[in-house]
Amino acid sequence: MEFPGDLKYQATHEWVKIEGDIATVGISAHAQDQLGEIVFVELPSVGDSLEKGAVAANVESSKAVGEVVTPFTGEITAVNENLEDEPEVVNSSPYGDGWIFKVKISNASEADGLLDAAGYQATL
Amino acid sequence: MTEINIRKTPLSEMHEKLGAKMVNFEDWYMPVKFEGVIEDHIWTREHAGIFDISHMTEFMLEGPDCIPFLKHMMTNSIGIGDYVAQYQHMCYPNGRVVDDLYIYRESAEKVRIIANAQTLETDGKDFNWLKENIGDYKVKITDLSLERTRFAFQGPETLNLLNPITDKDLTQIKRFRWCYTNIIVNSEEIPIFCSRTGYTGEDDWSDSLASFEISCENKYATRVYQIFLDTGAKPIGIGARDSLRLECCYALYGNDINNEITTVEANLGWVVKEKEGFNFIGQEILLKQKSEGPKKISVGLNLLDKGILRAGYRIISLGGEDIGHITSGTFAPTLNKTVGLALINSEYKAIGSELDVLIRGKKKRAVIVKTPFYTRGKKI
Repeated sequence: MEFPGDLKYQATHEWVKIEGDIATVGISAHAQDQLGEIVFVELPSVGDSLEKGAVAANVESSKAVGEVVTPFTGEITAVNENLEDEPEVVNSSPYGDGWIFKVKISNASEADGLLDAAGYQATL
Repeated sequence: MTEINIRKTPLSEMHEKLGAKMVNFEDWYMPVKFEGVIEDHIWTREHAGIFDISHMTEFMLEGPDCIPFLKHMMTNSIGIGDYVAQYQHMCYPNGRVVDDLYIYRESAEKVRIIANAQTLETDGKDFNWLKENIGDYKVKITDLSLERTRFAFQGPETLNLLNPITDKDLTQIKRFRWCYTNIIVNSEEIPIFCSRTGYTGEDDWSDSLASFEISCENKYATRVYQIFLDTGAKPIGIGARDSLRLECCYALYGNDINNEITTVEANLGWVVKEKEGFNFIGQEILLKQKSEGPKKISVGLNLLDKGILRAGYRIISLGGEDIGHITSGTFAPTLNKTVGLALINSEYKAIGSELDVLIRGKKKRAVIVKTPFYTRGKKI
């Protein structure tokens, strides 16, 4: 199972890619494997303002619901609408085309608690 | 702590070797999926799959009063001949369901029962209920559950794969009939109980498309599993077992029927039959509900908005009233849509009516549709 080194992670199984003041968020290869075949992704709306730790999206497999928690307080700037029609992309490309939402970082220090790949793997 | 008590079936280790993802299901260590829930599901609809259903229970009733005793205990007619299987409910006096099960009549004095899994919490539920009510009936009940291994061999290719390895011609077994036969491979001969029943809907009543449920003594279990797999059938997990049954709207005990829902409320009134000269447990309320209509009833739903229906979600009428809840829900792979069963106030049951399902605090629109969602050879 792959955990790219250029990403940050949360113990709740999200990956986070920080580019400037925008963070792209998805779920880890481990999370999609545990959930099984993803059949629905409930996305947030662009413009939603969320607190760090709030549930931004829900990823549903045939058996379970996984919550996707935002790692930063801020406004949702983009959502991966393609997942509405092809939720299975979260399984096939969790770190690529399976990204879920982007959030505008309002407080960069919130990045301090994020894990690196080794730190995340240690939690599994 | 319960980990210690999780039960393994005689096939658990083979499932692991076959690459299954194993889970605790109803206190049994069971394969939830092999390839994947959806892949397992589609394979069964298109080919044939082998399910381990050893978590279920198997009893033998023997004695001169078998039939009168069953007429007292069960809601359906019991008016069946030898080597016929019949779906039954066992109910409490209030009409709510102890369990749903099949009876398999061998003679007026010998009848097999196959019922649901007993969890650690409900251990012995069916067996004890039968024993408690035996009174003066001359019947001996033997629990065969842990001595025997149960399989389901389901899917359109089942007859083609299974018939060549059994000594009876299974094309001659009609739906809801059963037989004793032997699996014969080379010089091996393994006795099995073989019933043309199932929980997948893969049976069109013809001589060419049938599915079977099978049991054998534990000592043959792994060998039978291997022989079945060698036919080309694939192992299937309980995840697909659930989505396959839900497409057919077969009730799941614990969800769609339980000790808070009556047989008639579960929209299974056809399982309730008045029996001349016999009062069955729960008769009064069940017959009343059947003739007058129950206050709440199970209906089939399609979700019109995007999402997945799950047991427990509340149902809200378009007028804003809380009218019930989802009892089972899934993404239906054969239909490529979200379906569910809901127990709602009967006044809202009309097919075509819309209502809302509360999913994580948001209303999602659903419509009441005809059930079952799937019938062999026909999609909605």
